[in-house]
Amino acid sequence: MDFGALAGVFIGVVLINNFVLARFLGICPFLGVSRKVDMAFGMGCAVTFVMTVSGVVTWLIVHAVLMPVGRWLGNPEALFFLKYVAFIMVIAAMVQLVEMYLKKFFRPLYNAFGVFLPLITTNCAILGACLLIDMNEMYRSSLLKSTVFAFGGGIGFAMAITIMAGIREHVRFSDVPKPLQGAGITLLTACILSLAFMGFAGIGK
Amino acid sequence: MKKFIEQSWLILTLGVVFAVLLAGAQTSLAPRIDANLTRALNEAIGQVVPGVVKTESLTVPGYDRAVYKCLGRDGQLVGWAIDASGAGFADKIRLVAGISPDTTRITGLKVIENVETPGLGNKIADESWARQFRGLEAGRRMVVQKRPPAAGRNEVQAITGATISSRAVADIVSDALDRVRPGLAGLR
Amino acid sequence: MAEADNSNLRQFTDGLVANNPTLVQLLGMCPTLAVTNSVENALVMGAAVIFVLVMSNLITSALRNRLQPHVRILIFTLTIATFVTIADLALKAYVFEVSRKLGPFVPLIIVNCIIIARAEVVASRQGVARSVADAFGCGLGFTLALCLLGVIRELLGSGGITVMRDWGWSWHLDPKVFEPHAWVIMIMPPGAFLTLGIVIGVVNHLRSRAAAKGGA
Repeated sequence: MDFGALAGVFIGVVLINNFVLARFLGICPFLGVSRKVDMAFGMGCAVTFVMTVSGVVTWLIVHAVLMPVGRWLGNPEALFFLKYVAFIMVIAAMVQLVEMYLKKFFRPLYNAFGVFLPLITTNCAILGACLLIDMNEMYRSSLLKSTVFAFGGGIGFAMAITIMAGIREHVRFSDVPKPLQGAGITLLTACILSLAFMGFAGIGK
Repeated sequence: MKKFIEQSWLILTLGVVFAVLLAGAQTSLAPRIDANLTRALNEAIGQVVPGVVKTESLTVPGYDRAVYKCLGRDGQLVGWAIDASGAGFADKIRLVAGISPDTTRITGLKVIENVETPGLGNKIADESWARQFRGLEAGRRMVVQKRPPAAGRNEVQAITGATISSRAVADIVSDALDRVRPGLAGLR
Repeated sequence: MAEADNSNLRQFTDGLVANNPTLVQLLGMCPTLAVTNSVENALVMGAAVIFVLVMSNLITSALRNRLQPHVRILIFTLTIATFVTIADLALKAYVFEVSRKLGPFVPLIIVNCIIIARAEVVASRQGVARSVADAFGCGLGFTLALCLLGVIRELLGSGGITVMRDWGWSWHLDPKVFEPHAWVIMIMPPGAFLTLGIVIGVVNHLRSRAAAKGGA
C-alpha cells in the first residue's frame, strides 16, 4: 500500500484540483446552501458520504459487472455505452437509501436538510466524481485510489462550501450593491477563493 | 403481480427501446470514434520519428505503456516511438518520444495531452520548445536549465515562468527511456 | 389554432430572454462556468444541450398522461441519460477534440438542472408542440448565455477567438489590440467566477430597471 501515492491523490483532489473551485462541480449547492455554516457543513458531510459510496459502487459496476459480461460477449468494453445510465441509476438509488437511513436513525438531521437531500442526486459533484474516476487512467484500475479520490472530492467540496458559508455570514452585514446581491457576490467571492486555492498548484511535485 | 406489471410496463418498455437505440448509436459511431482516438497518436508518431510509414505496437517487458516499432517505406526500422505519461505541474502530461533505431538518440518529442497553465506551462506542447530534445542522448537523463543549454551536457532550456512543467516533461521522458531502453536492447 | 401558435411562440421567446435558464433562473451553473473558456466549447455544449432538451421534452410530453408519481423521476432520468449518451457518442465521433476538452461535462448534462426542471414544469403538463417550443427556447437561451460568457472570456483571456472545426476549416477573430495583454486568468477558474458574477449583476440591474419602468 503506497501511502505516498494515496496521500498525493488526496491532497491533489482536496487542494490542488478542488472539486468546486477548480473543477466547477457542485456549484448549485455551493451557491444555494452556503448561507449558514452549520447547514453547509452538514451538506458537506452528506455529500462526502454519498460520493464515497457512489464512487466505490460505480467502480464495481464497471469492473465487476460491465467488463466481465462484456468479456463474455467478446469485448470487455462492449457494454460501456450503458455506463452513464447505470451510473445515474445507482446514484439515485444511493441517495434514496441515505434518505431512508437518515429518516429512521437521525431524524433531526433529516428534518434540517429538508429538500436538499433529494437534490444531492442532481448534484453534479456526485456523478462528476464517478465520471472522473472512470475517465482517469491512473485511478481507473485501482479501487483503493478511486475510493480515496471520491472521499477527497467530498472533503474538498465540504471545505469549499463551509469556507464560503463562513464568508457569507460576514458579507450579510456588508453593503452589497443591489444587482450583485445573492448569486453575484457569491460568485465574486468564489473567484477570490479560487484564486487563493490556485496557490496550491505544484505541491504535488 | 398484476399491479407490478401495471406500474412498471412503461419503464421496462422504455428501457428496452432505449437500450436498442443506444446499441444502434454505439455500433454505427464506434468506427469513427476509434479512428479519432488513434489519429492523435499516429500524427504525433509521424512528427517524432522521421521517415515512418508504418508502426507495429509491441510490449516491452518492464514498461506498462505502448511502444511502437516504426518502419520506413521499405520496411526497414527507422526508429521507436514511446508513449509516456506522468505528473505535471497541474495534472497528467502525456507525450510521445521518438528514438533512433539504435536507441541512442532522441529523434523528437511531442506532448499530446496536458492541462498545464495556459500561456505558460502549456507551451510544452509547442513544437519550438520540444525541438530542443532532438539529438539529445537517450541514455543520459535530460537536465532542464534556466539558461540556454550547454553543448554536450544533455540540457534543455526551461520555458520562462514554467520551470516545473518543463522539468516534468524532462523527467517523464527520462523515466520512460530508462525503463524502455533495456527491454528494447534485446529486441533490436 | 392561431391562439395556440401564439402561446407556443411566447413559450419559445420566454426561454430565450425573459426566463433565460442561466442568467435569470440561475440553473445549470456548472457547465456555464466550466465550458465557457472558449466560444467553440460553448457552442458545442449548447448544441448538445438543445438536442437532449428537445428529445427529453418531446418524449416526456408524449408520455405525460401515462406517468405515475412514483416512476416519473425514474423515467425522466432514464430518457435524459439515454439521449446524453447518444449525444456524447456523436460528439466523440464528429468533433473529437472539442469533446475531449469538454471532458466530464457532456455526461454531466444528465444532471443539468435545466433539463429536469423543464421536464417537470413544462413537458409533463403541456402538449408536445408547446413542450418542444419551450425546449428550443430554453436550449437556445442557454447557448446564447454560454456564448456571451465564452466571447468575453476567450477574447480577454486568449487575445482572440478561434473556432476550429474538426472538419478542416477554422474561423479566427484576432483583434490585435488584446494579444500583447492577454489576461490569462480569464480562461482559468477564477476568471469563470468573475465573469459570471459580473454578467449576472448586469442582468439583474437591467431587469430591475425594466421592472421599474414597467411599473411606473
